[in-house]
This record gives sequence, C-alpha cells and structure tokens, in this order.
Amino acid sequence: MSSLPKRIIKETERLVSDPVPGITAEPHDDNLRYFEVTIEGPQQSPYENGVFDLELFLPDDYPMEAPKVRFLTKIYHPNIDRLGRICLDVLKTNWSPALQIRTVLLSIQALLASPNPNDPLANDVAEDWIKDESSAIDKAKQWTQLYAQPKK
Amino acid sequence: MKVEVKKVHCVFSWSWHIPKNAGTIESGLGEDAIGDIHGMVHEDDEEDVCGICRASFNRTCPNCKFPGDGCPLVIGECQHNFHVHCIYEWLDTSTSRGLCPMCRQLFQLKKGVSINDSHIERFRELAIKRQQEQNEFESNLDDDAAIARAIAEQEDTGRNVDNQGDIIMDQDLVVR
Repeated sequence: MSSLPKRIIKETERLVSDPVPGITAEPHDDNLRYFEVTIEGPQQSPYENGVFDLELFLPDDYPMEAPKVRFLTKIYHPNIDRLGRICLDVLKTNWSPALQIRTVLLSIQALLASPNPNDPLANDVAEDWIKDESSAIDKAKQWTQLYAQPKK
Repeated sequence: MKVEVKKVHCVFSWSWHIPKNAGTIESGLGEDAIGDIHGMVHEDDEEDVCGICRASFNRTCPNCKFPGDGCPLVIGECQHNFHVHCIYEWLDTSTSRGLCPMCRQLFQLKKGVSINDSHIERFRELAIKRQQEQNEFESNLDDDAAIARAIAEQEDTGRNVDNQGDIIMDQDLVVR
C-alpha cells in the first residue's frame, strides 16, 4: 500500500483531537482509509436519541474524488435506501476537494435533521413521507428505537 | 582590534509572495513592498495553505519533492490560490465542471500576474474541455425533456395543455 497522503493524516488527527459534537470517526487499524463512524440523531428530529453506525472510505483519488459513505444501521429516511446508500449532492456532483471528512459528516447529520422527500433515493419511503408525513415520522422514530440504540 | 574571518556560512530563507489583493498591488512599487510585508506577517495563516492538499504553499503538493519553482502556485481570478499541480488535477476531472473548489465559480487564472503566465494555455485547454462536457450534458437533458414531452402527449391527450405547461417549465430549468 502506498503511503498515506499528509492531508489524510492531518484530517484524522484533527477528527480525534477536536471531534465534531455528536460525531465520531475512527480509522481502522488495518486500513487507515477506512473509518468507523457514528452520528447521533439531531435533536428535534425523528432520529433524536439514536446513534447510527456508518462506514466511510477514502478512495485512492481522494480528495479529487468524494469519500464513500454508507449507513450500517437501518434507518427510515427518504434519502437513504435499504442498503444504507445516501443521496446527498456533496457526495456526488457537488463534491469539492475543499470539503473534508468532517464537513461531509456534518452534511449527513444535517440531512437527518431535514429529510427531502422530493429528491428521493428510497422511493417507497419518500412516497409514504409525502402521503402522510406524521405517520412516516412516527415510523422513523420507531426504527430509531429499534435499530439505533447506543451500544452499552 | 583585528578580526580574522575564517569561515562564512550563508543562510537564506524564502517564501512565496502572496499579496492580499493581487489585482491592486501589481500597479505600484511602493504598494508591492507593503504586499511583501503582509506576506511575511501572515506566514502561518490558514490562507497560506493550499485549499486542496492543505500543505503550505511554501511546501510542495503531495506529488512533488522540490518546493518553489518545482511546485509553483497559481492565482485565480476569484482570488483563490492553489499549487498548480493540485488545481490542474482537480480541473482535469469531469466532476469539477471547471469550478473553483473554494467558491464554485468558474476557475480562471488571474490575468496580468506573472506567476500565472506559463500556465495560461494549458488551463484554457482544460476549461474548453469542461465547457464541451457541460454543453453535451445540457443537450442530453434537452433530449430527455423532448422524450418526456412526447410520452406525455401520447399518454394523456386529454390534459395536453397542463402537461405542456409542465414541460415548458422543465425546459426553462434546463436552459438556466
């Protein structure tokens, strides 16, 4: 494996020394481009009190290419499908090498706070969301209770 | 008293001169000197780090060994500076759409700045490439809109006017 670019080392150090509130990201021992991530559900969102596991991978071309991020915890959200894939502009067409791991994770946290059913990835969830928002929110809360409980 | 000099060690240091506002300072010598002082004062500022690789401008991009002329900077029309190798690599990707990573405006080299001179041609070629891709992308969107309109007309002749109204709106979005 080629040596780790300095930028990745710097970002990793800062994630550990000055973490983003409600977010943790730790590199894997065997592969320093692979991060185990947790994001706390934002307050006053259906995901409040939940802790969601994600995986983040920095491809060889990072930062010219966006990090690959996926939810591992099951979540009921119109922009996240059942495989945990996330529909978020900064991960695709609006990526910029000026963005970082921490800003990407902050954007995902913001996506939890404001689901956007008009640009869906999980079509069935988005349909439910548009048809009956309050029952969709209830279901998101239930799933948070069921699947996103912090590990003791 | 007599002093005999036995050995002389020459020591020098260098730093890129990055004026706060490259456009206005180029005009006069006096102002240029002030720019120099500013450059020194702000040596450790966040601004003196390349926004792409996050290494200091006085160091190299990740792929170079020798700083300075070996790994020079370029100054953007939008006042954002990068290692030339970093920004070139970014603008060479389709994802970049030719935009500055910092402000997402079309990235162009600032004119009349000597440090940019030797790169202008290469960057212009890249910009043309990105522009062509963008045009193709938009004409594909136009095609999609035309297909959507054809299908809508076939499926639903009864509400033709409404459908067309919708489609015309879509096209407006595409043109913008």
